[in-house]
Amino acid sequence: MSSPGPLGFSTDEVVNNVNLGLIVVDHELRIQLWNNWMSRHSRIAREQALQQNIIALFGEQLTPGFLRALNSAIGYGLPAILSSAFHRSPLPLFVEQDKSAEPLRMHQSIIMTPLQSGDGGQTCLIQISDSSTSVKREKMLMSHSDALKREAITDGLTGIYNRRFFDESYALALRAAKRNRSSLSLFMIDIDYFKQYNDHYGHAEGDKALRLVANTLRAQMRRPNDICARYGGEEFIMLIPGFTEAQAERFAERLRSSVNALDITHDMSQTGGHMTISIGVCTQTPDQGSDGQTLLHSADHALYRAKKQGRNQVMTGI
Amino acid sequence: MKLLSEIELDALTEVFNVGAGRAALSLSEIVSEEVLLSVPSIEILKAAEVNDRVLTLKDNKFATVSQLFTGPFDAEAVLLFTENYALEIVRDMMGSQMSIEDLAEFEQEAMCELGNIILNACLSAMADMLNISLSSSLPTYAMSSPEEIAARLAEQGNDDSYILVLHVDLVLEKHHTEGHLIFLLSSTSLSKLISHIQQYLNNIL
Repeated sequence: MSSPGPLGFSTDEVVNNVNLGLIVVDHELRIQLWNNWMSRHSRIAREQALQQNIIALFGEQLTPGFLRALNSAIGYGLPAILSSAFHRSPLPLFVEQDKSAEPLRMHQSIIMTPLQSGDGGQTCLIQISDSSTSVKREKMLMSHSDALKREAITDGLTGIYNRRFFDESYALALRAAKRNRSSLSLFMIDIDYFKQYNDHYGHAEGDKALRLVANTLRAQMRRPNDICARYGGEEFIMLIPGFTEAQAERFAERLRSSVNALDITHDMSQTGGHMTISIGVCTQTPDQGSDGQTLLHSADHALYRAKKQGRNQVMTGI
Repeated sequence: MKLLSEIELDALTEVFNVGAGRAALSLSEIVSEEVLLSVPSIEILKAAEVNDRVLTLKDNKFATVSQLFTGPFDAEAVLLFTENYALEIVRDMMGSQMSIEDLAEFEQEAMCELGNIILNACLSAMADMLNISLSSSLPTYAMSSPEEIAARLAEQGNDDSYILVLHVDLVLEKHHTEGHLIFLLSSTSLSKLISHIQQYLNNIL
């Protein structure tokens, strides 16, 4: 080992303090340098590693990619890289803190660069960096972006889908219905006397009731293509493909009675002292030119009639 | 003026196809499926003649990986892939769900390796068949437009610089992408390359 030279420090000390695995192998693949980082993460001491053939030392644990890169560097003098994305963990190196019998393997990025040695033979420097933290960071970013995507289509108060998601899904469902020449049923749902409920019981109670109704409506859905979303303040919308008009009406009736059964006290309601909903339903098989507006208008108009006729009921549009 | 005879051009194409075959094998190992890589044609142009037309692919942004190499002849090798296709391939190889907009640091590193595998395979095939030895810098990755690349070539090359344009076809199970492999070299280096090809031809003919 060298002592401090004219620079005032020894290169050995630099090699052993650098936060990177460093290995040098000669043209016969014998290990000529093995820094402290390598000893710590491979659990192979320098004395055991030096002069060993690197392939013999790691044996069958070496991947074809690692051998290809080594061949490129030693055999041809061409530098090679092994990305953590393609190789994850080419060498049996472990996370240092993990002292268990089967420790976690470290994600690695490896760079091999040929060195000009004095005696003409090719030697190669292998640098290994720990990419666990960047892999972790990428994963975190990915899950954040998933969470953001989820948030963008969810109604913050009730947890069901929001209007934006409904509008997008409606366009897709419309296209599918045209293609399959199948029906679409649209349900416009409004909580009766909700403004009076809010004024009388306060916003906190109003929000609680909205959540309860939203989740009760959602719980009635049975198939993956059914959509239930919050459309406005106390207004919800549901879209169900493949129903006949009679099935849609029966389903709407089930929605109405499910909210009825919640038995939320509502002294300001004129429909019987508890919270109720009105529903406008419309079932159509959209024709090729349809942009979905007629279905929306019919359901909306049916809802208007249901309210006008005394609320707590289902009306069917045409 | 024809710089290379037809048979010399054929020999050079063969060298690169041997390299492409080796690269395909290495890539297959990574993705555990068949990868096809070929170099259907080669062009030699004056660096000054290079414009957007030569470089035009189906996209207007390139993912580039370059290596500078030295030996009996010196050149800068640049592998160009259209950005979107290249990323799709890298993401396929990684099994990543990320969108292209979220191009991550480790995907760039993966792109660098993809380029490194192809460039090293071509250089090692050249070394074996022409019986020479080459050294090279580490690969660097960049995103560039065709104009930027043409400008870069014009800046680095001088009046008697040439470029060798190889058209590269890469087929993975789900994707097919085209790219270019460009070698920028001086006229001195080009004539040395030609003389090595002539030697190679003399040995096999």
